[in-house]
Amino acid sequence: MLQSVFLLPFLAGTAVFFLPVKSGRLLLLATALFHVLITALEWFQATGPLQTQYFANTPEGMLVLGIMSFLFLLISIYTVFYMAEVEMSKEPVFNASMLLFLGAMSMVAVADHIIMLWVAVEATTLMSAPLIFVHRSKESLEATWKYVLICSVGIALALLGSFFIIFSMEMSTVHVPISFSSFNDVADQLNTVWLKAGFIFIVIGYGTKMGLAPMHTWLPDAHSEAPSPASALLSGALLNCAFLGVYRCHQLMVGAGLGDYSGNVLIAFGLVSMLVSAVFILNQTDYKRMLAYSSIENMGIIAVGIGIGGIAAFAAMLHMIHHSLIKSSLFLTTGNILLGYGTKSIDRTRGMLRLFPETAITFFAGFAGISGFPPFGLFISELLIVMGAIKTGRYVVISIFIFCLILIFAGASRLVMQMVFSSRDSDERLVPEQWSRALPPIILLLTSLTLVLWMPDSLFLTIQHAISSIGGTVNG
Amino acid sequence: MIHISNILLALILLSVLLSLRSNRLMALVELMAFQGVMVSAVPLVLETAHGVTFNLILFFLLLVLVKGVLIPWLMYRAVKLVVVDREVEPIIGYNASLFAGLIMIVFSVYVTNNLHLNMLPMDHKLLLATAITTMGAGLILLMTRRKAITQVIGYLIMENGIYLIGTALAKQVHTQYVVEFAVLLDLIVAVLVMGIVLNDINHTFDDVDTTLMGQLKD
Repeated sequence: MLQSVFLLPFLAGTAVFFLPVKSGRLLLLATALFHVLITALEWFQATGPLQTQYFANTPEGMLVLGIMSFLFLLISIYTVFYMAEVEMSKEPVFNASMLLFLGAMSMVAVADHIIMLWVAVEATTLMSAPLIFVHRSKESLEATWKYVLICSVGIALALLGSFFIIFSMEMSTVHVPISFSSFNDVADQLNTVWLKAGFIFIVIGYGTKMGLAPMHTWLPDAHSEAPSPASALLSGALLNCAFLGVYRCHQLMVGAGLGDYSGNVLIAFGLVSMLVSAVFILNQTDYKRMLAYSSIENMGIIAVGIGIGGIAAFAAMLHMIHHSLIKSSLFLTTGNILLGYGTKSIDRTRGMLRLFPETAITFFAGFAGISGFPPFGLFISELLIVMGAIKTGRYVVISIFIFCLILIFAGASRLVMQMVFSSRDSDERLVPEQWSRALPPIILLLTSLTLVLWMPDSLFLTIQHAISSIGGTVNG
Repeated sequence: MIHISNILLALILLSVLLSLRSNRLMALVELMAFQGVMVSAVPLVLETAHGVTFNLILFFLLLVLVKGVLIPWLMYRAVKLVVVDREVEPIIGYNASLFAGLIMIVFSVYVTNNLHLNMLPMDHKLLLATAITTMGAGLILLMTRRKAITQVIGYLIMENGIYLIGTALAKQVHTQYVVEFAVLLDLIVAVLVMGIVLNDINHTFDDVDTTLMGQLKD
């Protein structure tokens, strides 16, 4: 049944909380494996939901769930080996929160009821808070406080938006259950004024969680202070979940004939996010913050792609998949860099190629991927977004878009080159490289490459189903 | 029946204004408990036209338990445990905040009148104005007070306001108890998590003043 996809992690997470460390790690791995199996069953729709009122199996939800489940399997393997090195005093709390966080995110992916989606998104904030402040340093406390407070307030505004959307139904003559699927069926009869107001609040609310500027201020802090496996999960899976909330409402708006309005709102927020990250990435001194700003940029790109529609919507979905794979690979690699050098400063992590050759190659390959170089998927998705924009005649939008991409590439490549290639005096290695920790990020990168060369038909069809409701096509 | 709901709304407004003016943390927590009980009673009074059902009363009791007892008790404990200096420490003065609250009332009445909600009964419109004021006042508290604990209280008042807006507008939400229960559960966990972080902030910084936290910036 569909609900098991979040019930299983919730139960396992609660158990890990009380179990000793060793068996907790085993249960973490076992749950990750079972989660992949359940997700695969759901993907091919082998089982249905028990109660269709609150949860549903939707193509866009399955995309998010599929990425999340795959990432979590690799991240949990990495976590087990990473934890063996760092000796965290509260490891059961960390592992338990990872599982509870997975449960909350899976709930977002399958939620269909408008308020249930809100409940699940708020739950992701609360479950992931312990992941960030697990070190209990001054910085991590500040990051956690900002994260919990800014996201809670933002998501409270999303609740207001949800009420407005529900009210748009009560203003009209129709009466249906308050779920996205039944709202989509009667979308053209809903009150447009309240829908518009609701959409704005939803974008501000879930956009806060997704990292859209100017509500992004929590994101660089949380991503840089969390331990690397948690950062990878935040960036690769959580941001997609928040995006799903925005996307569901965008579908509703398109159904109600307000697609132009909501598309323009998304494009505006997306471009602002790209500009903000371009400005802040230039002079970063912390490599995890640099990657966090890159996440803001990529969420902006996805918002722009969805806003433009047509083939750009297909590209946005593609971008979401590849960004998750590559960015979580990069964050896992930064975990290895942090172990090896003991610092997050770009200045003091020079000479990586000589000291940590495997890490350096993975990091550089990941950077090439995230900046959109040809063998990786982001090249295709960004190219398709540009094509889609030109087809619909949005020349100003695409000029800003390309300008930001160039600026970000120029800014980030300087920093990455410095880290990977420049020379370093001392040969001190705190923790040597290990294949067990180097392999998960490499597998993530290889998956991204494989998906470029050969995309399974069922994945292609799922993307097509997911974007068909907002008028997105593969053929332009 | 209309009179009871009007008294209720007046009391909520009064608690909002008092919370903007109050300079003691304990007084703020007591006000929040009072406001929680009043807010929980609103659906009970408004829905009487459709008849009071068993579920409605049960849910009213649950709401009072959570918003009027459990959450204020958690906050009360946090104030006792955490804060040495029990002053609120505003960034903008009390009188200015109070004035902002009054402007907020005028603004929300203006907004409510201009929404052309002819289908809503009169007491729902008054409720909407009260609700917007409550939400706005919560935001003001959240942004203009230094202590982390006051920010949590501001968040809770804002949440009360949003809950009231939901009550005024969307009727169907309040018949789906599973969903409302889930929302409440989220609120409790949020307060618990914030409480734990608060406690740690106090241990690490020896205070819950958020201006002490400024390490992370670009």
